[in-house]
Amino acid sequence: MALTTAPNPTPPARETVRASAKSRRPGRTRHGEGLAGYVFLSPWLLGLMAVTAIPMLLSLYLSFTNYDILTDLSDVEWVGLANYERMFTADPSYWHAVQVTLSFGLIAVPLKLAAALGVALLLNRAWRGVGLFRGLFYLPSLLGGSVALAIVWVSMFNRDGAFNSFLSLFGIQGKPWVNDPEWSLETLMVLAIWQFGAPMVIFLAGLKQVPTELYEAAAVDGAGKLRQFVNITLPMLSPVIFFNLVLETINGFQGFTSAFVLSNGTGGPVDSTLMYTLNLYITGFTELEMGYASAMAWVFLVAIALITVVFFSTGRFWVHYSDGDGN
Amino acid sequence: MHPATPPTANAPAARSHRTLHRRGLLRITAAMVALPLVLGATACGGDDEASTDPNAKVELSIFWWGGEARAKLTEEALALYTAKHPNVTFKKTWQANQGYFDKLATLTAGGDAPDIFQIDDNYLTEYASRSTTLDLTKHKDDGKLDVSKFPESLWQYGVVDGKLAGVAFGENTQGLVYNKSLLQKHSLPEPTTGMTWEAFIAWAANASKVTKVPGTMDPSADYKALWVWLRQQGKDLYKGKELGFTADDLTKWFELWKGARDQGATPTPDVIHEGNATDITKQLVVTGKAGTSFVWANQMPELKKNTKDELGVIAYPGDPSAQWARASMYFSVFGKTKKADVAVDVINFLANDPEAGKILGTDRGLPSNLDVRKTVSDSVTDPAMKQSIQVENELGAKFGPSPQVPLKGHSKVRSELIKFAEEVQYGRQTPAQAAAAYYEAAKAAIA
Repeated sequence: MALTTAPNPTPPARETVRASAKSRRPGRTRHGEGLAGYVFLSPWLLGLMAVTAIPMLLSLYLSFTNYDILTDLSDVEWVGLANYERMFTADPSYWHAVQVTLSFGLIAVPLKLAAALGVALLLNRAWRGVGLFRGLFYLPSLLGGSVALAIVWVSMFNRDGAFNSFLSLFGIQGKPWVNDPEWSLETLMVLAIWQFGAPMVIFLAGLKQVPTELYEAAAVDGAGKLRQFVNITLPMLSPVIFFNLVLETINGFQGFTSAFVLSNGTGGPVDSTLMYTLNLYITGFTELEMGYASAMAWVFLVAIALITVVFFSTGRFWVHYSDGDGN
Repeated sequence: MHPATPPTANAPAARSHRTLHRRGLLRITAAMVALPLVLGATACGGDDEASTDPNAKVELSIFWWGGEARAKLTEEALALYTAKHPNVTFKKTWQANQGYFDKLATLTAGGDAPDIFQIDDNYLTEYASRSTTLDLTKHKDDGKLDVSKFPESLWQYGVVDGKLAGVAFGENTQGLVYNKSLLQKHSLPEPTTGMTWEAFIAWAANASKVTKVPGTMDPSADYKALWVWLRQQGKDLYKGKELGFTADDLTKWFELWKGARDQGATPTPDVIHEGNATDITKQLVVTGKAGTSFVWANQMPELKKNTKDELGVIAYPGDPSAQWARASMYFSVFGKTKKADVAVDVINFLANDPEAGKILGTDRGLPSNLDVRKTVSDSVTDPAMKQSIQVENELGAKFGPSPQVPLKGHSKVRSELIKFAEEVQYGRQTPAQAAAAYYEAAKAAIA
């Protein structure tokens, strides 16, 4: 949360910091402290290096090569910016995947957050058994990106799935939702929205922190429920909304599992569920163009970083921090 | 968001033990780093020693795709090899076709490819051109790998750029599988080998009307059906390093099936889409969503396991001489394996040993070794296997010459065909539009 607060107005001089450290821990040099720190960090640091940093740098290098996954790393050819050029100028399915991903993110993320907030508001009351409901609503998101869930979803929204049987009770002829290119992506959106449990729990925690005096004062001043929601709940909750928005946007754009399962790993029908990461996977592992796939991954990383920067820079116009004087 | 309790509270206590903790921790860390290295080193050591002594213990990894039936038969045959060579054991891994090649590619990239793996002509060129497969020519010439009993064209089908990249493990051909029980119930005639595509579609349209089940799967997204059809038109899928057809040919192909859909001979696009999956269990003839499916003849026994209905199999419509004796799949040896000699011996055993041949049956297609094929054909009892043998033998007399092994980029040629054929099936593009777009995409894929 403190990430966006302004830089410390008066950074304490290094000398004072060092002096105070010395005065608190006599006989210990800074050098020794640093080493101890790294030793304590080492399990995590080694993991970071081996599992994240080195592979990432390697993939950056590979993105400038024609690496095809079967060839030895030592035999790859440097192709300069060719992969990036191809992505931006000569690959229609790449842009199709970008479009699918954007429409997925732009629709599913706001709706998911709205659902999470709405249910959190309902559950932020002292009913009997409210804990049970909280648990039940949270449950779907525990299943996360699970393959089993996606499989169930596909069979539910098939032509002869449970959802269409339900519709037929009302005499409505359902569609083959998952196998219809006009509806398959929407089916995935509904799945994503349904898993609103994680942001909901965070919203609930945020709601608990809104001081009740504010509502009492507002009620005394004659503010209705809607007014209270707009003028108290939303501003007080804005840091939490911000947090959820950033997190869910990043998650949403990275959607993979459900699209993979629904389409048998093809992005079908007719590329309607060809999410960015799925396209990347197909390029790298099915078509064996791992160098090109690495380039895609790096463009994706930069794009997500940019989106996050945009969020943070606009955040100061609508995010209110109650601690301190805000920005 | 909540600041932790101030660390100063129990700092003095912690400080008095600090030296000890730090040393201990250092040791633990060192051990944690070193241990896997040491273990890794010993593991590698084990690998290196394997090939020197012929009786040393060897564990070969072997990887294939297929259903449970295939797994059972293959495991049995491998157990027989172990019985004869007790020092050789196997690490067996198998899975469904879907995702198999993703996994194989990943294992290869990690330098951890299985010593022996199953592969098909969709990927053989991709792997062989990168020397991921061992060139078996030397072993063939030494007599360690015996292909003398194979039909010439069959083992040749494993040669890529002059290198023997894979050993053909069975011969098969395209098979049109139909639901016999359904037709009998409605006293409908069965389709016959040699009927034209138009006659077949008319037959299917009639079957749809009578049975209320769509008469046939729409194979317009299926490269093997397109391939046969192209050869019947005097074209081919590939010619040298290029495509062997034009966009116009493709338009005709898409229009043929658009006509079939308009006549009601085929299911709705979403059902066709289900059938376009390579998974055997999803073929429409076994899920009961269509009267026929376009498959490989050797898949009959596996298809049979997924339905209660009786199935029949014939050639694809049109002139059957456009079909060919295809190597249904191969076994290849990993190019960098240190156990090449044993691996080759195992493949040789599986391909030529009469007992092993009897166990494996026709699960991977007709046995490549003609002697084994004869024994198996004479002794087989499984009715579905019997049927596919019979059909393949019947068709064998009519086969034309084999086409060239598919080019690098073939997997993309296949997946793009599914995409653009579905564009037509869902009515989002006209046959001519989709044909033109597919032609460009396919050209780019093999470039």
